[in-house]
Amino acid sequence: MRIERRLTTPRWLRVVVPAASLLTAFVLAGVIELVTGHDPIATTSRLIDRGFFASGALSATLVTATPLLLTGLAAAAAFRMLTWNIGAEGQLVVGAVGASGAGIFLHDQPPALIIPAMMAAGCLAGAAWGAIPGLLRAYFNTNEIITSLMLNYVAGLLISYLIFDSHSYWRDLTTFTARVFPQGKYLVPAASWPAIGAGTVVIPFGFLVGVVAAAGLFVLYRYTRFGYEVRVIGDSRAAGRYAGMRINRKIVAVMALSGALAGLGGASQIGDFRHVLDPRGLQQAGYGYAGIVVAALAQLNPFAVILVAFLLGGLTNAGYSLQGPDFPAGLVGTLQGLILFCALAGELLVRYRVRFRRLTVAPA
Amino acid sequence: MAAGAAPAVTLRGIVKQFPGVVANDHVDFEALQGEIHALLGENGAGKSTLSNIMTGLYRPDEGEIRVHGAPVEFHAPRDALAAGIGMVHQHFRLAASFTVAENFALGAHAGGGFRLDLAAIERRVTELAQRYRMPVNPRARIWQLSVGERQRVEILKALYRGARILILDEPTSLLTPQEADNLFATLRLMSAEGRTVIFITHKLEEVMAVSDRVTILRRGRSLGTVLTTATTPRELARLMVGRDVVFTLKPEGHTVGQTVLLELREVYAESDLGTVALHGVDLQLHAGEILGIAGVAGNGQRELAEVITGMRPRVTGKVAVGGISLRGADPRQAIELGVAHVPEDRLGTGVAPSLTIADNLILKDYRQPPICTAGFIRYDRVRIRAADLIERFDIKAVSPQTPTRLLAGGNVQKVLLARELSGSPRVMVAASPTRGLDVAATESVRSLLLQAAAQGVGVLLISEDLDEILALADRIAVLYEGRVMGVVGRAQADVEDLGLMMAGSAR
Amino acid sequence: MNLNNTLLVVIAASAIFYGTPLLFASVGELLAERSGVLNLGVEGMMLVGAVSAFWTVQHLHGPDWVVLSAAVLVAALAATATSLIHAVLAVSLRANQIVSGLALTIFAGAAGLSSYLGNIGHLGGHPALHEFKAVDVFGLGQTPILGPLVFHQNALVYASWVLVPLAMVYLYRTRPGLHVRAVGESPETADAMGVNVAAYRYVHTLIGGALAGVGGAYFSLAITPNWVDGMTSGAGWIAIALVIFAFWRPELALVGAYLFGAFSSLAFTLQTRQVHLPPEVFNSLPYLMTILVLVFVSTGWAKRRLGAPASLGVPYVREER
Repeated sequence: MRIERRLTTPRWLRVVVPAASLLTAFVLAGVIELVTGHDPIATTSRLIDRGFFASGALSATLVTATPLLLTGLAAAAAFRMLTWNIGAEGQLVVGAVGASGAGIFLHDQPPALIIPAMMAAGCLAGAAWGAIPGLLRAYFNTNEIITSLMLNYVAGLLISYLIFDSHSYWRDLTTFTARVFPQGKYLVPAASWPAIGAGTVVIPFGFLVGVVAAAGLFVLYRYTRFGYEVRVIGDSRAAGRYAGMRINRKIVAVMALSGALAGLGGASQIGDFRHVLDPRGLQQAGYGYAGIVVAALAQLNPFAVILVAFLLGGLTNAGYSLQGPDFPAGLVGTLQGLILFCALAGELLVRYRVRFRRLTVAPA
Repeated sequence: MAAGAAPAVTLRGIVKQFPGVVANDHVDFEALQGEIHALLGENGAGKSTLSNIMTGLYRPDEGEIRVHGAPVEFHAPRDALAAGIGMVHQHFRLAASFTVAENFALGAHAGGGFRLDLAAIERRVTELAQRYRMPVNPRARIWQLSVGERQRVEILKALYRGARILILDEPTSLLTPQEADNLFATLRLMSAEGRTVIFITHKLEEVMAVSDRVTILRRGRSLGTVLTTATTPRELARLMVGRDVVFTLKPEGHTVGQTVLLELREVYAESDLGTVALHGVDLQLHAGEILGIAGVAGNGQRELAEVITGMRPRVTGKVAVGGISLRGADPRQAIELGVAHVPEDRLGTGVAPSLTIADNLILKDYRQPPICTAGFIRYDRVRIRAADLIERFDIKAVSPQTPTRLLAGGNVQKVLLARELSGSPRVMVAASPTRGLDVAATESVRSLLLQAAAQGVGVLLISEDLDEILALADRIAVLYEGRVMGVVGRAQADVEDLGLMMAGSAR
Repeated sequence: MNLNNTLLVVIAASAIFYGTPLLFASVGELLAERSGVLNLGVEGMMLVGAVSAFWTVQHLHGPDWVVLSAAVLVAALAATATSLIHAVLAVSLRANQIVSGLALTIFAGAAGLSSYLGNIGHLGGHPALHEFKAVDVFGLGQTPILGPLVFHQNALVYASWVLVPLAMVYLYRTRPGLHVRAVGESPETADAMGVNVAAYRYVHTLIGGALAGVGGAYFSLAITPNWVDGMTSGAGWIAIALVIFAFWRPELALVGAYLFGAFSSLAFTLQTRQVHLPPEVFNSLPYLMTILVLVFVSTGWAKRRLGAPASLGVPYVREER
């Protein structure tokens, strides 16, 4: 068996293969459900219904999709240049810290001031957190996968410290209950991000910000000099050097950009949904890692990220709301994992052509 | 070596083709037992292909191989190993962080069972090392060893596996003179034991110093085998490069200017392996001149190109473009000073392979207006530029949006040249610009270079193809082991002299 | 005063106790990485191990030692099966190993397959019917200092003490061990010498899975003899960090596992002793130390002596004409 690199990738393959992998994943999940005594058709249809069609489903899906959109963009932004930012999880958390800090600090200001400040604070914090592995990679050649991964844990511990084990600025120390059962300061209503209603669907502000960010990322990578350099370096580092590009600076910049997007996701968590710094909730959700799945399935295209985030958000949302004795939890993760496996295997078909050939014997 | 020795390896009628080129064209070759046999030729002569066939890496399209008289067929390198043929490659197959003994222990043929008895292997290594007078510390890690020592390890490894026939590919390319002498002593020892040594080289001094017989290959054909004692360096050089040089291109009358556009003074540079690649190179390139750098690949050409274009730092010495000294290891400065570069590695370095032709055409000037304004790349202007260049340079492509790696070699080169030449460079460094191209593409490339010179650009043409240099260059410098052996004007150029210089004999 | 109640001894004993699952998982991942395969799915594999081991003890009847051994075996097999997915993707299909490993964690981890299996089996909320209890070896369990540390641990701890020297002997003193190291360092060289690169990578990825499964079983059968979704709480990620921290050596993995185990139990222990230091400080030490180690390992000096297997994470393709 020989595997040859394809020269061109036919357009249709690029769409068919991800769709086929999606289908295959559902089929495989169906097999698992069948084997464990559940009706795959019923389960799948309930998932889809709960995710997208039931009343209120779309709005709930958008809530889940918003952080996935932003962390998905974060991953896409970094992976384009083959810098593997696995730290979106931590960058989101740090962004949440920054945003809630800004929200608390500016508690007596109008929304027009607080909200942009929260977004900026989230971006800056996330960018800084993402720049650390970037710097280590650029100047010490340290593997950014592990460093960004480690920083996820440090971020989690940081936020834990701020709320549970210190008397920090973020912690609510006003009431007796709050002093005994640690929690963060609630943000003032002015710091709540607006939600836009469109018919029966409620669109979180963060989601719209995400869509704008996706467009921005698309423009950045497609039409600017920065994006051009990212594309060249991602394709061939040697060509980047040859052209005189400053590769080290690019690495840091891209990691910071990626971190900023994840940080924005954290800001959205505070501003759109939680309104308080909630260590457990933020970390349990695993948005950072899920974002990587989103980006991989979307083949790093920012607009596709919007779609995939929406779909995956629907799936996740359905999983949460259906959780109960007759709907086993864990199915959603299993399904997501299967989708990704199938997508990875399908990727092979997109990039390579598999040929079967028998060794021929040359005449003596 | 006894007279009438039996043949060790016999190749008859070997034909091996690759797309577009016949690497071996009905080659006959025979090495006798106990002799040291040199395989001489330039690049592209077919020496490596022949040796790869002998070691089982390639299967010949036609022809027969016999080892010790018996016909054999090699399906994989291990078959050749089993037949007693061992190879020492130019690029060593050693695991850098392992010790010498550990490298010996690798592989099914190393002998021994499940348990790893390093102590026994270390003893064996020392034994072999002493027998062949190649001292090596079995406990040393490969990365700690010098290149010469690593080569010793490779040779000993082949001997450890019982190779009766040893093939060495350009063995002295990375050695100091002392190390080369040690190597020859070892080869003589092995020959005295009855082992057969075949070594591939382009260096005449080696052939004369240590071989018993020499076979000359040129352009895929064997020109025959002679006894080393019965020939001279001059004759070998003639056989190696000599041909009726046909000037297919009469260069337009262009005058070489007086201004020195590029100057190198006492430049020393290191190779990737840490050896000295450039040994005090002095060169001057004038406006409107084509300066040809001749020589067999691996004598410092790549490092020369990289030092001039800022892709490699130099250890000492000065490189100046238009009088301004290059900082070194800063490609951007070289680009800004007007140094254009058509690199050896077209698809990987000169061009970002998956990007479109249009994208690659702006690779050098994407930072400036008109292509770039306010941080945005104006793709409408890029399209216009691409369409213009594609037409001017006759690049055959379906559309400017085609990914560049889909283009045929010749067209990739045209993209490179279009880009480099359209930026009004002062100096153009072209490394192996027509390698692997068909006749038509070769002609276009050459005429583009001539045009550039006619417009006052200083062209540094680095090429392994002596024909090409003779056809295009105003002056010819020969690079051998990182040194400029001599510089001759085209009128005074004598092919045999050049061949001698290329093979290491000073003028 | 009972020596065995001093802070140091208590910490040391719990370091060993909590560090053991880390040790299993990290030795497994270490072997996989030595062959050049990066498997980020350790957390998922451990959870699969945890749930399958727990399922076994709840459903298999027999004497303690039979059931527990079977449980460990089942855990190993289940985790191996999940690691096979990653092996196929990474080695044969040359997929991006990072994404594949993460997919494995999502697939098998908390809110994934392990959770699914645990919930449909209704495994939550019931104590284990069999568990690994500390064994008093030779009756020396109460001797000063050594007692609680060496003679009063559970069977899996002792198994891990056999595993480490076994792994060391394998890597450094056997021919297959040499081969796997070569495959990780320089697959081209190994291939040229006739070593089957793909086979070695497969086998070692699977072994990594098996050991991760055993590590996971430790959680549901020794630490909290119970099943909870996501009960490893990130131990798999720590194990990955541990491999680097240990410079890919089993003997150092032992030291590191106990060190990290100490950190995680330190916070709790100190609290009971009324020492108030934010637990997060200790808990973050493993990660910060790993970053430092990684930076150090990437510098030139260290890289050649102590570094990662050179081909880690890079698919191997034999170039052919």
